[in-house]
Amino acid sequence: MQTRLAVAIVLAAGVAGGAAPAAEASDVLKAVRSPKVAATRAAREGELIVVFRDGADERDVQRALGEGRAAGARQSRSQAGRLLVRLEPGDAVRDAVTRFSRLPEVEYAEPNGLVRKSDGTTFKPDDRYYRYQWDMTQMNAERTWGIQKGKSTVAVAVLDGGIAYEDYTDPQTGVFYKKAPDWGDTVFLPGYDFVNGDAHPNDDEYHGTHVASTIAEATNNGIGVAGLAFGCALMPVKVLDENGEGTFFDLAEGIDYAVGFTQNGQKPVKVINMSLGSESSSETVRSAVDRALAAGVVLVAAAGNSAKGTVEFPANIPGVLAVAALDARKERASYSNWGTELHFAAPGGNCDRDDNADGEPDCVFQQMPDPDFLDVGRHDQFCYCGLDGTSMATPHVAAAAALLFSQGFTDANAVVKALEQTAERLGGAPADGRNDGYGYGLPRPANALPGLGLDTGPKK
Amino acid sequence: MSHVRRAPFLLAACLALAAVPAPAAEVAIEGQAGYRGLAFKDTAQALLGKTGGGTFGGALRVTVWRGLFVSAGYRTFSADGERVFLASPGAPPQKLGFPLSLKLTDIPLTIGYRLRQGKAIVPYLTAGAVITKYAETSSVAGESFDQSVSKTGFIGGAGVELRLVHSGLVRVAGEAGYSSVGSAIGTAGVSKVLSEDNIGGAYAVGKLVIAFSVGGRN
Repeated sequence: MQTRLAVAIVLAAGVAGGAAPAAEASDVLKAVRSPKVAATRAAREGELIVVFRDGADERDVQRALGEGRAAGARQSRSQAGRLLVRLEPGDAVRDAVTRFSRLPEVEYAEPNGLVRKSDGTTFKPDDRYYRYQWDMTQMNAERTWGIQKGKSTVAVAVLDGGIAYEDYTDPQTGVFYKKAPDWGDTVFLPGYDFVNGDAHPNDDEYHGTHVASTIAEATNNGIGVAGLAFGCALMPVKVLDENGEGTFFDLAEGIDYAVGFTQNGQKPVKVINMSLGSESSSETVRSAVDRALAAGVVLVAAAGNSAKGTVEFPANIPGVLAVAALDARKERASYSNWGTELHFAAPGGNCDRDDNADGEPDCVFQQMPDPDFLDVGRHDQFCYCGLDGTSMATPHVAAAAALLFSQGFTDANAVVKALEQTAERLGGAPADGRNDGYGYGLPRPANALPGLGLDTGPKK
Repeated sequence: MSHVRRAPFLLAACLALAAVPAPAAEVAIEGQAGYRGLAFKDTAQALLGKTGGGTFGGALRVTVWRGLFVSAGYRTFSADGERVFLASPGAPPQKLGFPLSLKLTDIPLTIGYRLRQGKAIVPYLTAGAVITKYAETSSVAGESFDQSVSKTGFIGGAGVELRLVHSGLVRVAGEAGYSSVGSAIGTAGVSKVLSEDNIGGAYAVGKLVIAFSVGGRN
């Protein structure tokens, strides 16, 4: 994770009782340094994931936990044989993995690796609304909306740090979480907080709300900015904590939760957005991804912000759509990863540049909790902020996929193929292929939505 | 392109034969209705949900010498469906809800021979050229996706004509055949995905024939 310097305009969204300036009252131009620095640890100390073989019963599990010298265990909500095992203080994870792996009841054991948000770590609060959303222009959003705005029967699960989606006071901490101001009629499906173990996946920082807003922030309501698939529903699934850090166990739990969710006999989650990544990998997450793919869900993940030629995990899992970031010039952003597993490149921004000469840095602007207030423990103040990163690029692709499902696509493979075939090739990629720098290029949902006629294809 | 050049030639040949004086020439007007199959059946199934349908039309037939006749006709087929996305052959079509209309117009120009001329039951064979016009129209949020092309191909068929009244002026007939009009589609869209380029197909029509004798006995 790179730490980047950003210039920010802060606009408080105004909440009663807040000490912030009133909404629309004053724009404060200030330079801030991102407060969030990614963790560099590979796995969480004192924990490991243990998956038992089919047929292992409760007695087998208890015996294994005893022989493996577990201090405690947390059962998966969706996978009976998957446990998050807590170790005694001082017990090395590597030794415990070896110990558990030798037990006959255990299929495999692995460290509970860490994932982290993939944003460019900069933000730029702003109140300049849609005209500063160069990313929507780059996605040809206006033509796209002329065809499809999204349907609430199609949901995107946002596996992130939560979403500011409800007014809620945490009974344990007393912290008040306020719903962000520009959700309008956006529908939220019941999500889950796998970090804190409750059904209130509110955003403890800002990343998840920003990402979700790119997908479905209320649009054409006179305030804030736009979301690309603003008619679609969102499902907040919290797998990252207040530092933007989470574990493989919780990520796998989140994937399984989103895939398994049913409402009125339907499975509304068609797309999973994962604006996160890790430099290590996990069989547990890989298995959950495989189940999601088998269930016909499109999974989209950030390629990473290390400016490397390797795509991070889980974006590098076959079948997951890995997304690189573009700047306003349609060139791959300087921080963005690339590589053989790269699928698409989408607007991720570069807050260090102003290539469209609109007087503002080329960040991606969306609503989110105001970081200045988060620093003092307040979750009730919001801003229209600019961030950059492959985290910001990823929801553009997730939204495009959601729009195709809204139009009538039922097959996830067809959604992916349609986006591939109609994407704007970049970096010299062949018309019928991809390259490692940009994948299949910039998705053009307005070209994919019309589909095919008898002898008429998409217009480029 | 060679098909396009051949059509006027065949038409001229037919008209030249029709112009030959015959002692017992017959002119017949046909009304036709029946079934038109679509050679691009997989494409049609994906877009229209069917591989053929009703066809209507007519023809003018002139007997030029004994059982030899020339004929020029017109048949039309139309169907409505919707635009789809098809990832690959065999993949499920993704129906997208944008209406699509297809119209095919066949103009067969044929030479045929009627066996057992003058009998109550007259079998016949026919072959020649067919000009088929394909027109596809659809619109997506104000943007038109229209396509139209005319191509010439081959057509052949066989039929049986029955005399209804003793005078022989009113007859019914049944005819079945096949046309092949290749290289017409397959440049884009579902037909490209499925590698189908032929807009011909099988047909089976019933005919109501009104015949007139010109210049002598029938």
